[in-house]
Amino acid sequence: MTQAQPESASTTLADPNSRSTEFVAVQGGGETTSAASLLIAAYLLMWGLLFAFVFLSWRRQARVETRIAELEKAIAAGGGDGNARQ
Amino acid sequence: MTGTKDKLFYALLAATAATFAYLIGYIFLVTPLAQLEAGGLAQKIFYFHVPAAYAMYLCGGVCCIASAMYLYFPTDARDAAARAGADCAVVFGAMVLASGPLWAKKAWGVYWTWDPRLTTTLLSVLVFVSVVMLRAFAGNGEAERKFASALGVLGTVTLPIIHYAVVMWGGNHPTVITKTGGGLRDPAMTHALLVGFVAMTLLAGLLLWCRTRLSLSLSHVARLEEQAIATGQIEY
Repeated sequence: MTQAQPESASTTLADPNSRSTEFVAVQGGGETTSAASLLIAAYLLMWGLLFAFVFLSWRRQARVETRIAELEKAIAAGGGDGNARQ
Repeated sequence: MTGTKDKLFYALLAATAATFAYLIGYIFLVTPLAQLEAGGLAQKIFYFHVPAAYAMYLCGGVCCIASAMYLYFPTDARDAAARAGADCAVVFGAMVLASGPLWAKKAWGVYWTWDPRLTTTLLSVLVFVSVVMLRAFAGNGEAERKFASALGVLGTVTLPIIHYAVVMWGGNHPTVITKTGGGLRDPAMTHALLVGFVAMTLLAGLLLWCRTRLSLSLSHVARLEEQAIATGQIEY
C-alpha cells in the first residue's frame, strides 16, 4: 500500500506541487541503513528525551519543595508568616 | 482541593499511560507496513513524529497565550504557564527533530536537508530554547519575565509559518495528511494517527501541569527568600 512514484531527495523545487502527498522513498534504493535499527533509535531517542525531562522535573520539584519547607521553618522561627506575601 | 487535584493528576497520568500502551500495540500489531521501498518499518516513526509536532504547536500556543496575558496583566500563574509552555514546546520539538532525521535517512537517503518545513521547525524550536535559556539564566525579575513573554509570543508566530511552509513552498517533506486522504489510505493508519494525537494531547497536558507547578514553586521560593532576607532569617 501507499506505493508511489519514488522521488529523489535532491529535488527541492520551488513549486509547492512538487511535494509528495504519499510516503515516498529515495530513488534508486541506495540507502542500506536498516529500517528496524532506525526505528528503534527513533523510539529510544524520543522516549529517552521524555523520561529525562520528567526525571529532571521531578528531581527539581523535590528540591524546591525541600527548600520551601526550610524557608518556611526559618521564617516561622523568626516570627514571620511563610505564606504572608504570596 | 489538593486531594481533588491529586486525583485528577493521577487520573490524567493513568489515561496517558493507557493511551500510549494502546498506541504502541496498535502501531506494531495492526497498522500495515507503508513506504516499502524504504524498508517499511521506518514509516512507523510517523505515528509519533507528527503527533509530537502537533504537541509542540499546542505547547507553543499555551506559551503564546499565557505570555500575551502576562504582558497585559502580570501574575505568577501566567508567567508559570508561559514558562511551562516554552519548556514543553522544546521537549516536543526535540522529539520531532530527533525522530524526523532518522526516518529521513531511510526515506530520503539523508539525515537532514534544508527543506522549508525542516528549517522553520528548527528555527521555531530555537526560539523556544532561547525563552527557556533566558528564564533559566537571566534571573526572575519583572523585566526578564516580560522580555521572555515577548519572545514567547514571537516564537509562536513562527508556528503557522511552519504549517504553511509545506503548502507555500516545494521541498522533500511530504504532506500526507490531506482532505483526500493522502498517504493514509488504510483506515488503521488514520486510527493510529488519531490515537497518537490523543496520546500526545494527554502527555502535553500532564507535562504542562508538572512544569507549571514547578514554576509556581520557584516563584514561591523567590518570595520566601526575599522575606527571609528582609527579616534576617537567612543571609543574602
